[in-house]
Amino acid sequence: MDNAQFLLTAATVWLWIGAAVALVFLAWGIDRVDEDARGAYVFRPLLIPGILLLWPLVLYRWWAIEVEAAPWLARYRPVRGAHPAAAMLMCAAMALLLAVGLTARQPWPDHIEPVQIGGPGQ
Amino acid sequence: MSVKYIPVQWNPNKWAYNAAMLGGVGAFLWIFLYITPEALSHERPINAQIHNARAFGACAFVMLTVILCIGPLARLDPRFLPLLYNRRHFGVMTCVVALTHFSYILGWYFAFSSQGGLYGLLIANTSYGQIAGFPFEAFGIFALLCLLVLAATSHDFWLKFLTPPVWKRLHYLVYAAYAAVIGHVSLGILQDQQNHVLTAIVIGSAALVGGLHLAAAWKDRAARAGGSGWMPVGTASEFAEGRAIITRLPSGDRVATFLLDGQLSAIANACAHQNGPLGEGRIVDCLVTCPWHGFQYDVRTGRSPAPFTETVPTYRLRANGNTVEVHSDANPPGTPTKPLPLGALT
Repeated sequence: MDNAQFLLTAATVWLWIGAAVALVFLAWGIDRVDEDARGAYVFRPLLIPGILLLWPLVLYRWWAIEVEAAPWLARYRPVRGAHPAAAMLMCAAMALLLAVGLTARQPWPDHIEPVQIGGPGQ
Repeated sequence: MSVKYIPVQWNPNKWAYNAAMLGGVGAFLWIFLYITPEALSHERPINAQIHNARAFGACAFVMLTVILCIGPLARLDPRFLPLLYNRRHFGVMTCVVALTHFSYILGWYFAFSSQGGLYGLLIANTSYGQIAGFPFEAFGIFALLCLLVLAATSHDFWLKFLTPPVWKRLHYLVYAAYAAVIGHVSLGILQDQQNHVLTAIVIGSAALVGGLHLAAAWKDRAARAGGSGWMPVGTASEFAEGRAIITRLPSGDRVATFLLDGQLSAIANACAHQNGPLGEGRIVDCLVTCPWHGFQYDVRTGRSPAPFTETVPTYRLRANGNTVEVHSDANPPGTPTKPLPLGALT
């Protein structure tokens, strides 16, 4: 199995596990962890893509809420401290990638006149 | 207080926002495909699939650029705030456009791969050890995965389930996605030196996004440098009955100071439900109503009306000449405070 096959197989397994988690969570777990979801069913299919992609995080949060490991007040504290750092990192990455890309560009041979290539034997 | 989830909480503003957004996407694609092929170096014959792939790729890049400009613009000037509140629909649409670009690429360049298009994409170029000819597709795949995660977790449920701190950190992925898109373009289409227009657009877009973020970060830094203590909110003439002035504290939190029946009261700007902007809500019978989901609070106590139990922090106010000042240290959530009469200002 080469690297590409390994990646695709891993992604397939990941999504199948996510599908199983989505089935259990949306049919049963969501009513236990969020009172606003009780009796609300139409919106649940919208959650399937997120569960497929992030099922380990979903399982962790489900467990944390079940055992009340998440203090109520901390859940509503706005996060702004890391914002400037994230923006600076993005700026640095953009500058680096643009510089590398422009440096790697090769000169276009527009100063060379095109030459008609003859066929075999000519 | 409880709000049952529904797929989308539509309101007239969201309809108008989405109509303008979809109109903009349609106009961009139409112009790209039919109006300006010469300006985009499409004078050489290319087939419809490549043309469509470039159109949707360019559209996704522009949409992501606009999305990333909205946040810092709203922090620099409150007049851009209406653009901020429905940004999640913009993000989901961007993901759909990027997926369309991806499907055109797979459907043309890798349509006949013996083990499927995805496998063909992954093995087509594996020269990760060199810059010239680097497999720029990897940047595109990473950016698309980021956009999928952001779009898939855009429903209100995720904000509450993951908690705002985790959700916000997860959505920092948009910065990584944009940087990856820049890499995807820089090491991909920009390697074609004939197209200087595109080079200028990409560099200009990156500079715009980066410059706006740095300007907003600088403004936040300046606001936070003040330390704790009494901070100016506004003068008497700046307050309007039933409305609030929002003040940013050195901690980064925001305070909403309301004028109600000629008296001033201050509460935290972030709703206890999902951090909605209380300072932009209306006051009905002494209760400010969160514009996001309708949660209500008494602005004098920071408490929801019985039988509900939500609370937000309150803040002390004082008059200093003609200026209202708020103390940066919050009272515990739900602490009653004595309102400051507007007449106390001289």
